[in-house]
Amino acid sequence: MPRSALYLTGRLAGALLTLLAGALIVFVVIKAAPGDPALAVLGENARPELVAAFRHAHHLDEPLGVQFWIWLSGLLHGNFGLSLTIAGGIPISELIAARLPITAFVGLYAVLMAVAISLTMGTVAALRRGRAIDTLATSIAVLGISMPDFWLSYMLIFALALGWHLFPAYGFISPMDSISGAFHSGFLPALAIAAPMAAVFSRMLRTSLLDTANREYVTVARSFGFSAPFVFRHYIFRNALIPYVTVIGLQIRYLLGGVVVIERIFGIQGLGSLMVDAVFARDYPTVLACTIVFLTVVLLVNFAVDLLCVALDPRRST
Amino acid sequence: MTPRRNQLSRLLASFLGNPTAVLGAGITAFMILAATLGAALMPYGPDHTDFLDLLSAPSLSHPFGTDSFGRDVLTRVLYGARVSLLLSATGIAIAASAGVALGMVSAYKGGYVDMLLMRFADLLFAFPSFVLALFLMVVLGFGALNVSIAIALTYFPIFARLGRNMTLLVREEPFVQAARLMAEPTPLILMREILPNIAAPLIVQATIGIAFGIVIEAGLSFLGVGVQPPTPSLGVIMADGREYFARAPWVLTMTGATISCALLGLNLFGDGLRDLMDPRLRQRTQS
Repeated sequence: MPRSALYLTGRLAGALLTLLAGALIVFVVIKAAPGDPALAVLGENARPELVAAFRHAHHLDEPLGVQFWIWLSGLLHGNFGLSLTIAGGIPISELIAARLPITAFVGLYAVLMAVAISLTMGTVAALRRGRAIDTLATSIAVLGISMPDFWLSYMLIFALALGWHLFPAYGFISPMDSISGAFHSGFLPALAIAAPMAAVFSRMLRTSLLDTANREYVTVARSFGFSAPFVFRHYIFRNALIPYVTVIGLQIRYLLGGVVVIERIFGIQGLGSLMVDAVFARDYPTVLACTIVFLTVVLLVNFAVDLLCVALDPRRST
Repeated sequence: MTPRRNQLSRLLASFLGNPTAVLGAGITAFMILAATLGAALMPYGPDHTDFLDLLSAPSLSHPFGTDSFGRDVLTRVLYGARVSLLLSATGIAIAASAGVALGMVSAYKGGYVDMLLMRFADLLFAFPSFVLALFLMVVLGFGALNVSIAIALTYFPIFARLGRNMTLLVREEPFVQAARLMAEPTPLILMREILPNIAAPLIVQATIGIAFGIVIEAGLSFLGVGVQPPTPSLGVIMADGREYFARAPWVLTMTGATISCALLGLNLFGDGLRDLMDPRLRQRTQS
């Protein structure tokens, strides 16, 4: 097996272990949450035999270890159990299957925006280091980091939706119904999520480009008489991308957190608003399922980042 | 002048020579002053209602306008900032003390303890931070104190990692070896020899952490699962302003702008402190 494959297998195994440990911890912790799910669904004055039947149907009368095993083996079959209060009795997997594509669309849209903005801003700032445009780009980046995304959402709504009527202030058209509609109605939420990330990314790219430009192999390439654009493309940019891509992987945690609030603001029926609804309804199995799905997404994205890094720099795997 | 004082004055001079750091420190100091003393200077109380003056736009008597109960938004923001800052600082203080303590022990002991603690920190770190905070609010219950605990648990892994890595760097230094040879007890070595030498990056991290905590508090309270009204926190005031955003945008706008200012100050201050502590990094990024 080539070294890179071995390395990536190790990373994947690590991610799976993290997922398993994460599932165990959130499962145990949520069992400690206040309130009896049976009483939450059936009402405080439910007849004892109904409560007992409910507890039996949902395996709540089994020991904790057995409950975890039942839940985990269901999980491996894509079965998250039944929702309790939020959508009485509908399998959670159906809820998630309906919501996940929407969140994935908005999230990807935001990442693409952030990458597009930061590649431009970071590169320009690095190439024009110390000039006015560098100062401007760096200042915008600091401002971007300092704006909470949910506040930025409202500022965007105020200017671009209520002021100029360019985009809808509320509501989202699913990409399954209309792709152009999804891009249009998803623009403001995606921008609100993207802006703070773009700030972090472009700062990272600028630092990384300047750092790479001072390396010895770049000096050597220059001394060969290669043109500046050639050196930039082949020697600096590619190598500078590695820390940049790694930061994108790290920022996914914040992106998904932002998604939760932003989906609420724009009325997007994604995974984030499902989780918030479940939180208010105290629908523990659904909260649990959403948490696990979010964790899985983070781990998947970071694995994709590992793949990308190995592709960019095969030395990494050794 | 003793060498230590000499070093301090050099640090101070270098700090004053960094305009962004000074700006950051200024904004941060102003924000802290406003949050702690500002409310006392206001002629209104945070719950003082005036039904003849509902949702009025910013003016001289109400610089941030009034809300749907005719309450002065600036006064509420000042009280709210105090609550938000207190909750964030408490959370970060818990995260820092627990995280650094465990990280230091982890690095010093090594072996199984180290592996288990760091795996646990990595695990917490893999969850999206806001999702983890939201999950914790379900388990702990909504409310101000639990916001602090949620902030502490989401930020704990960062301090644990940092504390561990810095301790690993310092533990092989001659002065630590000397203390070990003198058979100083481990807790004493950790507290007296190692902690003062790793304090600088921890302080930078705490500055950034407080900014993070303010955002988490605002986010949770904005959704309605954090601080509960009528206690004003910045998130609570924003959630309130959201209800009538189209009619009276200033409530949400001004509160959010206050948060942005505070974050800007903390971020600039943190960046400045980091530059100060790592001159090598500053040269690399600026020259």
